Amino acid sequence: MSLFYIHQTVCISPQKTCETIDLDDVQLSKDNKLQAIEPNYDAIPPALFRRMGKAVRLASGAALPLLNTLSFNGIIIGTANGGLEDCIKFLNQIVDYNEGKLTPTNFVQSTTNAVASQLAFFSSNKGYNNTHVHRGLAFENAVLDAAMLLNEFPEHTYLLGGVDEISAYQYNIESLAGSYKTELVLNTDLYNSKTTGSIAGEGCAMFAVNKQKDGATAVLKAIGALHSDNQEEIIQYLTSFITKNGGSANIDLFLSGENGDSRYLPYYKACQNVLPNIPLKRFKHLCGEYATASSFALWLACKEIQHSTLKTILIYNNFRGKQHSFMLVECVK
Amino acid sequence: MRRVFVTGIGIISPLGGTLSLNHTALKSGICGITTLELINSNFAGKLPVGEIKIETEVLKEKLKIKRLGLTRNSLLSLHAFADAVDDSQLTVNEITSFDTALIGANTVSGMCLTDELYKDANSKSNGSEYLFSYDGGSVTLAIQEHYGMKGIINTINTACSSSANSIMYGARLIQNGLAKRAIVGGSDSLAKYTINGFNSLYILSDKICRPFDSERKGLNLAEGAAFLVLESEETIGNKKVYAELTGYCNANDAFHPSSLSENADGPFLAMQGALQKANLQPHQIDFINAHGTATENNDEAESKAILRLFNKPPIFASTKSNTGHTLGASGAIEAVYSILNLTHQEVYQSLHYQTPIASTGLVPVKNYTKTPINHVLSNSFGFGGNCSSLIFSKA
Repeated sequence: MSLFYIHQTVCISPQKTCETIDLDDVQLSKDNKLQAIEPNYDAIPPALFRRMGKAVRLASGAALPLLNTLSFNGIIIGTANGGLEDCIKFLNQIVDYNEGKLTPTNFVQSTTNAVASQLAFFSSNKGYNNTHVHRGLAFENAVLDAAMLLNEFPEHTYLLGGVDEISAYQYNIESLAGSYKTELVLNTDLYNSKTTGSIAGEGCAMFAVNKQKDGATAVLKAIGALHSDNQEEIIQYLTSFITKNGGSANIDLFLSGENGDSRYLPYYKACQNVLPNIPLKRFKHLCGEYATASSFALWLACKEIQHSTLKTILIYNNFRGKQHSFMLVECVK
Repeated sequence: MRRVFVTGIGIISPLGGTLSLNHTALKSGICGITTLELINSNFAGKLPVGEIKIETEVLKEKLKIKRLGLTRNSLLSLHAFADAVDDSQLTVNEITSFDTALIGANTVSGMCLTDELYKDANSKSNGSEYLFSYDGGSVTLAIQEHYGMKGIINTINTACSSSANSIMYGARLIQNGLAKRAIVGGSDSLAKYTINGFNSLYILSDKICRPFDSERKGLNLAEGAAFLVLESEETIGNKKVYAELTGYCNANDAFHPSSLSENADGPFLAMQGALQKANLQPHQIDFINAHGTATENNDEAESKAILRLFNKPPIFASTKSNTGHTLGASGAIEAVYSILNLTHQEVYQSLHYQTPIASTGLVPVKNYTKTPINHVLSNSFGFGGNCSSLIFSKA
């Protein structure tokens, strides 16, 4: 059973993916960060725009073109952190002003569901509205949610998205945790790096998804996810995922979430070895590392399928070597 | 669609750390709202809250889990989860099976650690033990890692309706054949962060909250956790069954980030959708566990939505008058209380209520009453217009 068809997509990323799409002109990272190239946000009322944190802004910028042209039965967002910047701004107020009189704007914007609810307000969408925040599998759970809804309501169309932001605070916390490289590495050199850590990324990808084949860009055939740090278990899972979904003979691209972190490379290599003769492409040098980077990968897979002769792409991503996911994307037959 | 049953319950709330303590407190009309003690804050000694009077370190010792980076939020979750799986008599193999899903929910995540987060986020430390404990997912991952769970794992945050949505997501995994059982629920701990956040919105009451009273002055924040074991009809066998989850719906009010609309479309659509899903008529609902936070806005909007949907509104009450508002945990905690209504065929009084809201005139349950209950509707509405309703039915 196919999960759903993907129709229109919009992606705001550190690369030229939004207003004009040009992935050959790779934009370079600065200070180990790949920051999103933001579009002009003319469609957002200025008073509203001023209050938006970056995650809400990126999601609004990516979703508005879709919300303005299509009608959706609901909105499903995956975001690990939502507006963490607003959250820490409010936290800093609490500490710096010793719990005095505080302004609530940052507090209201800091709730992770601020993204999905803002999109509902924009479009007066009173339908299903959900926010999945399960770290490196936040987007995958949003995908599964959409797939279940479309199984329950095959005539519906949903807005599905993944978004996360780099903020100074998030960067500080992740740096202390060893998530980013301590030496300067350019994204174009990411896969040559032998050290631990990756480079920070951010972005938002939005998808209009339904069960209608006509006019679709691609089809999401299957998704699987696993919590494990055991290579053998992951390989076993991948092998059975491939077998259940038509075998490896059909797969003509392995889109890998390799992120230049020596600690997690073995997982990517091991999965690659399951598909030894299949061309490899990587995407983290384009979007950087963040918990919902797999939403960028899904967008990229849709573009590859649209603009090449590729028929089936397997996306593999892992987050911190513990949360693993596989998505099988096919052309529309 | 497969039928989904509740076979296990675990709960910790200001009313107690077991199901039976919660039951006794509800029956006796006990209010668990007291003055804030355990958080180092200007509000300590003054603000009424639903606080679990167990120090975080003691919670940790009781659970006998020696991991670094466990927050109070995770500990509350682990406590409720352990009781739920025990109650359902799940084996280790069942808990770690690919067919067993875990769906958690919370809003505060690791932000209960205000001071640690302040230092870590502003690079004023060398890194605390909590660097991986600040996001919402960390609370569910603490359970997943402790038990080595392998099935579908998720965390939901839709503000105060979060754990109603985790229950719904788990049920849908079972109904779509993606899991045989789902352990679903949520938690939230009191935090300087939320206390100051809700205070900045002027919706905290400086007195004990009075849901549905014309003189209500706002909500009391609280903490707690609850998990339910949901199982498909095919796997329950001869197990003890508490109730059936027959209806659910998620809708958005699409009006304002922190208040409900005049017509209360979100609450109305959530309740109406849950009835449709359960294939029930409004008159078949015997009792509503209302969201009833005791804010000006919520109680009036919720009352209006009830009047819109029901010709003759069923009896209703808000257990937030007993516990305070446990935010992301409230959907699961009140699911447990709704199940108590069903299993004991009784309703509990809504506390601190005196005078009806003038515009709606609705009067909550004023006394503990034994009464036939077949279907209970439980409401959870959150910031961002996120409204969800669940219906539990007698098994």
